[in-house]
Amino acid sequence: MTAPQQPQHTSAADPAVSTAGPPPVPAARALKQTERPHPLTPFVRGWLVFVALAIGWGREVVTGAGDNQLDTGGLTWILPILGIVVLLAAITGFIAWYFTRFVIDDEELRIETGMIFKKSTKIPFERLQSVDIIQPLVARIFGLAELRLDAGNSSTKLRYLSRGKASRLRDYLLTRAHGQQASIRDLDQQAAASIFTDLGVTDQPLVQVSPQRLIVSFLISSEWLIPAAITIIIVVATAAFEMVPLALGGLIPLLIGMVSLIWRRVIGMFNFTLAESPRGLRITRGLTNLTSQSVPINRIQGVKVSQPLLWRLLGWYRMDVDILGYAQGDGENNESNASSVLLPVATPDEVELAIGRALPGFNLDAIQLHPSPKRARWVRWFDFWTLRYGWDDRTLITEHGWFTHVRDIVPHAKTQSVRIEQGPLQRLLRLADVHVHTPRGPVNAVAHQLDEQTARELALRQLDRARAARLAERQRRAVEQVGTDDHQGEAELLAAFGTSRDQLLGSGGESEVFAIDHERVLRLYRSGHEAPRRTAAQLQILYQSWAGSDIGLELPMILESGERNGRFFTVDRRLSGRNFSGWLQHADMAQRRPALISFFDATERLQHLPSLVPGYARLIGEGAPQQFGTLVELLSSMLRGPLETSRTQLERDIPDVAEVWNRLHGELAQRSVVPAIVHGDVCPPNAYLSQGPEGPVVTGIGDFSPHTVHADPLIDVAGALIFLELEPYADAAADAAWLEAVAVERHGREIVRWIDVYRRFYGFYFSNAYAFDPHLYAWCLRQLSR
Amino acid sequence: MEELFAPPAYEWKRLSPKYRSLRQLTSLVVPPLLFTIPAVIVGVASGRWWISGLIWAAAVIIALLRLAFVGRSWRSWGYVEREDDLYITHGVMFRNLTAVPYGRMQLVEVESGPLERAFGLATVTLKPASPETGARIPGLSPDEATRLRDRLTELGEAHASGL
Repeated sequence: MTAPQQPQHTSAADPAVSTAGPPPVPAARALKQTERPHPLTPFVRGWLVFVALAIGWGREVVTGAGDNQLDTGGLTWILPILGIVVLLAAITGFIAWYFTRFVIDDEELRIETGMIFKKSTKIPFERLQSVDIIQPLVARIFGLAELRLDAGNSSTKLRYLSRGKASRLRDYLLTRAHGQQASIRDLDQQAAASIFTDLGVTDQPLVQVSPQRLIVSFLISSEWLIPAAITIIIVVATAAFEMVPLALGGLIPLLIGMVSLIWRRVIGMFNFTLAESPRGLRITRGLTNLTSQSVPINRIQGVKVSQPLLWRLLGWYRMDVDILGYAQGDGENNESNASSVLLPVATPDEVELAIGRALPGFNLDAIQLHPSPKRARWVRWFDFWTLRYGWDDRTLITEHGWFTHVRDIVPHAKTQSVRIEQGPLQRLLRLADVHVHTPRGPVNAVAHQLDEQTARELALRQLDRARAARLAERQRRAVEQVGTDDHQGEAELLAAFGTSRDQLLGSGGESEVFAIDHERVLRLYRSGHEAPRRTAAQLQILYQSWAGSDIGLELPMILESGERNGRFFTVDRRLSGRNFSGWLQHADMAQRRPALISFFDATERLQHLPSLVPGYARLIGEGAPQQFGTLVELLSSMLRGPLETSRTQLERDIPDVAEVWNRLHGELAQRSVVPAIVHGDVCPPNAYLSQGPEGPVVTGIGDFSPHTVHADPLIDVAGALIFLELEPYADAAADAAWLEAVAVERHGREIVRWIDVYRRFYGFYFSNAYAFDPHLYAWCLRQLSR
Repeated sequence: MEELFAPPAYEWKRLSPKYRSLRQLTSLVVPPLLFTIPAVIVGVASGRWWISGLIWAAAVIIALLRLAFVGRSWRSWGYVEREDDLYITHGVMFRNLTAVPYGRMQLVEVESGPLERAFGLATVTLKPASPETGARIPGLSPDEATRLRDRLTELGEAHASGL
């Protein structure tokens, strides 16, 4: 299974965005078509000035027509000045627009600005952390939107584009940011998102906050009630003594605060929708200014679930998250505060749903919460009964607060540092606080008033847990990503083959593939030398043994292999056509279904490939070819590796996992077949599609790997339809069910049982994904609990 | 009591005794200096110099009290480099113990102000991504500060994990 490449976060020193002095050579520009933002941009950017202009003009009309107006004699001299200001602003706005050009295509993302001091900003796709769409009111009226690109520590704005274009570009950039190949031309076919929510066709809304609930929750929130009550008390008290003007000094700031609160909590959060898109979570919100923001799950550092006193009556909660880099605005503007809200008001079910997405694998019920000792009441007399803490092997939870009940959840892997604190009163009572630090943001996990011994144990153990979690994370990264230390060497290596990082076609757990030309690709293995060299040698033998047989499918071929700059690589034949997975996402059903049939045919044909090894065998990997007496022995041997890492996790997530395991073994023992070549991972990302006489058909299967074995051919037949469910397009599940019906038609009812068996097999086989791909792991759990 | 803040199976490294001298000097000198200005103003303005005397007396008392505490405060500081994290403790009334994993350090700084330099001292500050951590160790000898910085940077790289 190809794991999607996560955007990489590196240290602050990393030049995430390269800003070069002069723009690229004119020749390059002539070749490439650059675009300007929307022509209405200067109007929208300078709308205040235009409003001023309109008012000035309107005033003149009114004074011209009216007679009993104010004496405007003193005002007329302002008009020429106003006119000049307006003109200047209009010219600057126009110049800024005229000299802004951008390119977003298959190769690069570049923005050029400036008339005199030219600035060209090129952002590598894989550096993009998030792409947000912001529509201020005026821009919204004109159907325009701003694209905000967040890469590393810098944020670049591109304004304004038409709304449809902005959302298409956003989808494209996010696809590229995940290291997947896509062509910008495909996006034009995509349906436009809704005006009010900016949800694309592929976005599944998870939670929508209704205006009624938002307003009611706001009116009974402590944040609103307290200033409101103070205002009323001040007004009533001063009115009683007829001294209202005296109170104004206090009332005005209070009222300003309340208006800003309404702005942030009601206007800003209006139509709040949390949706799941193919690229993670997406939030859209706002009544006047529409903001559409993507939430990078791997950058969530902690979650805070809070509940003001009166919300308890209605069972509502609010959810905030710490997102690395988001809150760095230091609260200077409300926008940066607001962007940490995951749900402004939600029911317990919705909270559970959102936590499941934000912290995959988190299970609150499995965590035992411990109260603080009774003697804490002498220090925390106001909320000692609410103090709780608990942990499991992945997260730490702390709870406190009566007036506003707060629960902070911090994954161990995100723990920054730990501190024990003790004041003089606490020392008398032998109590201490334990702080678990996370990066800047709303989450502030403190286990209050623990017994000294417990506090010390919690703190020290927390460090161990954090270390273990970090280690797991690092291993995951080592598998998923190319080390940051050899970027230079990698760039040289890619350049030597006439390719570059922009030519990345796809990436998997072991290697990344770059296009060299139409005929060849460069497969760059991530790390180590022994294992990749062995894999490549074994694959080469396998491919050569297939060279003589024609099964009507293009298969890979290794043309060259070697080692350079410490990395092992092979040059492979490029399969013609385009990637099936990418195509599926935009194809309509009429095209998709015949293509799926051809995909299914292709997987069935793989079994006709000749094998050099008789009997059940593993063909790739250490000790391969390794023969086995029975199917069940072979498959158990394949499951051994993944299960070593995922066993404890599975035992927790599926109580009767042992029974599932035994049943799988029992069923596999009954299966007797003539062994044949099994690809082992026949998912759409590994298939290639070309235009046939009657529409697009699958013409090539690539990426044979250590999953490739000599076993039951039905494994690939089952794989073809069960991996389809993992494809990120809306009807993937329906298509998989339909393909299953096709399989039944061809092979009879009996096949359903075996598809089910292999579902559970793959559920175990890919279960080690829990550490790096929660989406895949969730799929595994679904297979195992069927 | 001690157990709560002791590092497991290690001895605290203490600050340089020069830091105690520095603190003793500042506790003695700073309050009288600070109080001199208001004392002089009050004296000149009202002509009642006995009030100025009272202010000075208060300054001296404060200075002596602080002096008495310097030893305890100095003794309360401690740090220790463990295999995977750095422990720092300090505080007399409000005590705390901070543990920063090496892998979480983003930046290690050595600072030395004019007064510290005069005493041959330096301060090491750790900058993790979390603003709350605020880990710093004052009063180190320059050699020790440089050693600590280099060691922490090295360990930080070895343990580095993204965020």
